Amino acid sequence: MNNRLKVLRAERNWSQADLADQLGVSRQTVNALETGRYDPSLPLAFRIARVFEQPIESIFSE
Amino acid sequence: MFTRSDTPPPLALKILGIVALAGFGAATGAAVASLAASQAMAWSDEVALVMAVGLLGMAIASAVVMATRPASVPKGCGLLQIATLLLASAMFLLPIYGGQFATADVIFGAVIVLLVIQTVTNVMLWNKADEMLRRIMAETGAMAFFACQGALFVYAAAERLDLVGPVSSWGLIGITMGVYLCASCIAAARRGIH
Repeated sequence: MNNRLKVLRAERNWSQADLADQLGVSRQTVNALETGRYDPSLPLAFRIARVFEQPIESIFSE
Repeated sequence: MFTRSDTPPPLALKILGIVALAGFGAATGAAVASLAASQAMAWSDEVALVMAVGLLGMAIASAVVMATRPASVPKGCGLLQIATLLLASAMFLLPIYGGQFATADVIFGAVIVLLVIQTVTNVMLWNKADEMLRRIMAETGAMAFFACQGALFVYAAAERLDLVGPVSSWGLIGITMGVYLCASCIAAARRGIH
């Protein structure tokens, strides 16, 4: 699964640690999400969508 | 609020770190081998000693990472990881060296106490971990189980056929821990944690 996390984060000038704090996960988890090494659970995907104020389908794609 | 940087360390520093770790690993391995040879240990004790030193090394490495790259999330996971590693190390050392300081039943009681404490810290670690760390733990358990089950079956069949001699349960637990540590490295590396 592909995602736009890195782009969205960069647009906001947030570090991985900043985003991790807001999502309640570790920095390593944000890094794994951005590099496609880990697909988030549905609850985490919803949290990501809320943080970026965008629908899930605009952040994640197959 | 948003002031931290994701700038990775320079390549030279990474190479220096790898060389330093390799040197430390080689020196530790040589020291453990020398110690085992000087005490004429059984191979099962040698394996347990290597596991204990390895767990201790991982605890020290975790402490260094925690000090240099502190993380607020997941809260408390770093300390719990260090505690579980130290407890596991002590649990491997006690049966080998504890006999010099106390009777066998006292040492056995201490091992059981440490096992209970370590189980509690493991459960706390699971509860505090985020979802990826839990996935890594679950994958580690699955990989280690299937690897150990397969290897145990092959060895048991060979033993039943009198092709090999029996292995003590002390030897088996050392091997099991070695497989578990290898599995945890593979599971973590797959998620980009090196």
